[in-house]
Amino acid sequence: MPENILIHLENIHKSYFLSNGIEVPILKGLDLTVNKGEFLVIMGESGGGKSTLLNILGCLHPLTSGSYHMKGENIGTVRDDYTLAFIRNKLIGFVFQQFNLLSKSTALKNVALPALYAGSPKHEREENAAKILKSLGLEDRIHHKPTELSGGQQQRVAIARSLVNDPEIILADEPTGALDTKSGKEVMKIFKDLNEKGKTIIMVTHEPAIATYGDRIIFLRDGQIIDQDYKLPKL
Amino acid sequence: MSFEMLRMAIEALLANKIRTLLSMLGIIIGVSTVIAVVGIGAGAQQDVADQYKNLSVTSIIVLESRGQSVTTASKISAEDVNTIMSNEQYIDTATAAVSGDMQVSYGRASNQFTIFGALPNQFEISNLNLVIGELYTEEDNDNRARVAVLGSTIVEELFDGDPESAIGETINVGAKTLEVIGTLEETGTTMGQFLSYDDSIYIPYSTAEKSILGTGTRIMLTVLADNLDVIDLAFEELGLILREAHNLKADKDDDFRLLNAGSIIGAAQSTASTMTILLTSVAAIVLLVSGVGIMNVMFVTVAERTKEIGVAKAIGGKQSDILMQFLLESIILSIIGGVIGIGVGQAILPLVEKFANMTVVASVLGVVIAFSFSVIVGIFFGFYPALKASRLDPVDALRSE
Repeated sequence: MPENILIHLENIHKSYFLSNGIEVPILKGLDLTVNKGEFLVIMGESGGGKSTLLNILGCLHPLTSGSYHMKGENIGTVRDDYTLAFIRNKLIGFVFQQFNLLSKSTALKNVALPALYAGSPKHEREENAAKILKSLGLEDRIHHKPTELSGGQQQRVAIARSLVNDPEIILADEPTGALDTKSGKEVMKIFKDLNEKGKTIIMVTHEPAIATYGDRIIFLRDGQIIDQDYKLPKL
Repeated sequence: MSFEMLRMAIEALLANKIRTLLSMLGIIIGVSTVIAVVGIGAGAQQDVADQYKNLSVTSIIVLESRGQSVTTASKISAEDVNTIMSNEQYIDTATAAVSGDMQVSYGRASNQFTIFGALPNQFEISNLNLVIGELYTEEDNDNRARVAVLGSTIVEELFDGDPESAIGETINVGAKTLEVIGTLEETGTTMGQFLSYDDSIYIPYSTAEKSILGTGTRIMLTVLADNLDVIDLAFEELGLILREAHNLKADKDDDFRLLNAGSIIGAAQSTASTMTILLTSVAAIVLLVSGVGIMNVMFVTVAERTKEIGVAKAIGGKQSDILMQFLLESIILSIIGGVIGIGVGQAILPLVEKFANMTVVASVLGVVIAFSFSVIVGIFFGFYPALKASRLDPVDALRSE
């Protein structure tokens, strides 16, 4: 496998099983290769499997069948919690549409949480968290709780959280979906910036304006990638 | 487990103060109940110990049998003492005493008391010690001397509790007078329902038998076995000697009753410890119920924070991290509840003593039992909700609102 390939999915199937045993297929034989340093955008029809694909990439879902290689290692068959938690903790950073910050903890504590799970000592993780918050322009919001922050600020805290263990991959699920246009643009500038500094970013969105920040767009329909290099229609 | 996790658990508990307090309430009630109950139990044990502390465990008491139609000639008598002592193998010493209730007065004070006509060696056998004055002697007994040694209750009632003022005074017993020559220490000991050493006036055996006590006189022998190991043999031997002395045929029932002091104490102690066990089980059930309460609250907490659990998993929280986080909450809950419960329990003890008029003994054991029980309850009942939380599917958890 070439050096610059970070993620390689082959013939991925993912189904849900209803309580009466009926299989509901979501992803139906999907292939995807993501290169190191790529900014990949996942678009598609709703119900097409965008979120499921992102959850599989984030090791939150086990595969029904197919193979998932990350940096040449087959991680699709890994089921033990310790290894999966390690991958989610150290190799991947997750950014959600609804930010998903702990409402009772300060920005600093929220950002430091993945480092706590990684087992790094308090002063180290909080110093690091503060540094990242500063770099995202939140130096005067470090000790604020999420309820005291605007949506855009909350999403920046969430991005800071995804960065605290310095992962190679950032997974973002509609990161601007809950933001106004201006905050959305600020957030996208951060992603673009991170991408330029070498982070591989995989982002789900349905907004064409947001999708333009990516290097490449894949388009999902009915559980399959129907276009590996989708071009947005000209306005 | 890090300090940070502890801090997060405490914050989570503080975020829902009323719920935390309510779930703690069960533990508080449980723990304070255990402490109160163990205290009351220990108090009951001590009561028994106090009650019988002067009763030698090697003593055997011989009483007339109740409700038996036996001829007067075959009843137990002071002569039995001689028979016993000349035939014994396992018996150290024996003494006889007669007793009856008489009207006793001194000055204007008057009441019904037990007159206990005892041989001089009774004092030693029954562990009765002087406060002041002297005991009567064999000579006094032979001379039927009109002297009396007073139990502590008598001093209390007739002499306002002042032993010194009693010495040399004359008390009236029925139509006769007796000179007080000594007073006894309080023993707190009763022998069944028929005798309290403190409530008696001791006079020489012969004086009592010949000139003071009339009808309704009870006779009692006190026998000491050689030592604790032969008490059963002595008990058996005593029965045989008495049957022979009373000429009882094989088909006849005993015309006497034998009470083994050891068995009386044992029965009282086992009653007290049965009570303790019973009350402790009740308290344990209270704690168990409080554990179910904690489990309930923890399930609600887990349900409420499902999304948070999903996020924790997505950012790299291990199952063990999440398990520990929720388990810590229930443990903290039960530890704090336990500490408050100990405080409440210790505060209740004196109230029980005062208002329920019971002896209570605050014991370290009670605190240790109560506290460890509460921690165990916290771990045990917190574990299942925490385990469920840790095993939630991350995607399902993230999707929940």
